[in-house]
Amino acid sequence: MASEAVAAFAPTDRRRRVKANLLVICAAIALILALIPLVAVFGYVFVNGIRSMLSLDFLIQDPPADLSATGGGVRNALVGTLEMTGLATLIAVPIALGMAVFAVEVGGRLAQAARFLIDVLAGLPSIVVGIFIYTSVVVTQGHFSGLAGSLALAIVMLPVVTVSAEEILRLTPRPIAEGARALGLTRWRAIMSVFVPVGLSGIITGILLGVSRAIGETAPLIFTSLGNNFFTLDLNQPMQALPLLIYRNALNSAFDAARDRAFGAALLLILIVLGFNLAGRWLTARRRLAGSSR
Amino acid sequence: MTTRSEDPLLAVETPQMTASVADPGGVPGARPEPAAGSARPPTEVAMTVRDLSAWYGQRRAVREISLDIDARAITAIIGPSGSGKSTLLRCLDRMHEVVPGARSSGQVLYQGVDIYDPMIEPAAVRRTIGMVFQQPNPFPTMTIYDNVAAPARFNGVVKGKAAEDDLVQRCLTRAALWNEVKDKLRHGGTSLSGGQQQRLCIARALALEPKVLLMDEPCSALDPVATLQVEELMSHLKADYTIVIVTHNMQQASRVSDTTAFLTMGEDRAGYLVEVGPTSEIFTSPKQQLTEDYISGRFG
Repeated sequence: MASEAVAAFAPTDRRRRVKANLLVICAAIALILALIPLVAVFGYVFVNGIRSMLSLDFLIQDPPADLSATGGGVRNALVGTLEMTGLATLIAVPIALGMAVFAVEVGGRLAQAARFLIDVLAGLPSIVVGIFIYTSVVVTQGHFSGLAGSLALAIVMLPVVTVSAEEILRLTPRPIAEGARALGLTRWRAIMSVFVPVGLSGIITGILLGVSRAIGETAPLIFTSLGNNFFTLDLNQPMQALPLLIYRNALNSAFDAARDRAFGAALLLILIVLGFNLAGRWLTARRRLAGSSR
Repeated sequence: MTTRSEDPLLAVETPQMTASVADPGGVPGARPEPAAGSARPPTEVAMTVRDLSAWYGQRRAVREISLDIDARAITAIIGPSGSGKSTLLRCLDRMHEVVPGARSSGQVLYQGVDIYDPMIEPAAVRRTIGMVFQQPNPFPTMTIYDNVAAPARFNGVVKGKAAEDDLVQRCLTRAALWNEVKDKLRHGGTSLSGGQQQRLCIARALALEPKVLLMDEPCSALDPVATLQVEELMSHLKADYTIVIVTHNMQQASRVSDTTAFLTMGEDRAGYLVEVGPTSEIFTSPKQQLTEDYISGRFG
């Protein structure tokens, strides 16, 4: 008996072990290759941008009228980015959630058509979105505005949030979904009180993905919010944004001041996105703990 | 195996069906004691199933089942896998149609009203006819308290905090869970053990004040101790509720049920009703050879 057991557990033959190890090594190499650009970009931006970021003025002052002049900050761009992205989120998220709920709960041809269009929208170059808003809003209104920028960003955000919310709602465990139906809850009630809470962490992650995507967009803003050098909260005015500021200053990077400002703003943008992601993780982790205190 | 679609078995075993079919109103009333009488008092019929067939897409899962379900009694549906037990059960509260591509034909009468009448709203049916599933499914984002109170609140069964508190205590007590959870009502519903979760789901169903409780293999995910607790609970509940339980476990059916319906799969792979009768008779002197083969473990 014992010898049979020993035979059953005999070492795997050499070739199999080598093959298995080879696979692990290949995967490790791929991982390192994938990490190189990530670390390199972040490191480069960090090293070049941290100098500007170290001064508080960078956050609370507006840039000088002359890009080549030293001093000043990116306050107008920071506020503009937060305001336009915030408004875009307020516009896009309800529409995206509505479409996701429709697709999952109602379905049918209309939902399929909507899903197809959303996929097309996701693949649309963002500059096309900018041109669309330019012709439909900017030209109609007669001027560039933060509102136009928000609308453009909302369109960029829409497919990202819709697709992820739809996936999450589809993943509602069947026993939970059937449990809600068997309790005679209306469709609407089941979605709002059961399915959305159950999928909330995934939905928030999807919204954050959309925000992260929109917040870094430059192309849709060029013809819509245009950017300016002044501080404004007025969505009817042209509005500056961090990516626009980076773009303008980077174009003038022959001047050290402009170059530093661009790197500082880039680092700030990365930190904002990072902050959103961490906040989202923290929120959903906390919720999950509260949900099941096992 | 005698499996014909115009099954003589069906005709043999449902003399009272013919009687209730002849009564077009289908009004529930006392029905005559089955001839081979056990000593049970005359019973009232809570639900009547007539010529019920159910499909998943092209595949028929249940064929022409007719059956009376006694009020305030436990009816067990037994049979091998694929005999359509769960499908039949899910047709009784219109949960079958929730599955994409699923449909059914025939009638299911509750208090003389066909629950498949186009005027009837499925959600309303499900409030009157509650369901407990195989896998305990408390809502994971809700507390124990809210698992019981929220569906009742959404359906307008209760209004106000005091009424809710009262309802939660009453239903959890009814479900024999109150003593175990009264100090942690604000904990998550999924923090409980499997058996507790299942009793929580029963309490949640009871909170809607249903008249009928459908249980789809409610103990198959539970350990023997938890199973016993749920069985005892069912025995208590039948004083007030009509219970239909699908079970794989024949011992369970013989322990808890008053009436047993035996289904099996026909040659067309659709489930059909072989025999229904008082549990004691089905398990001691079944009329059909198929039933006897099944309960004596010769197939299935």
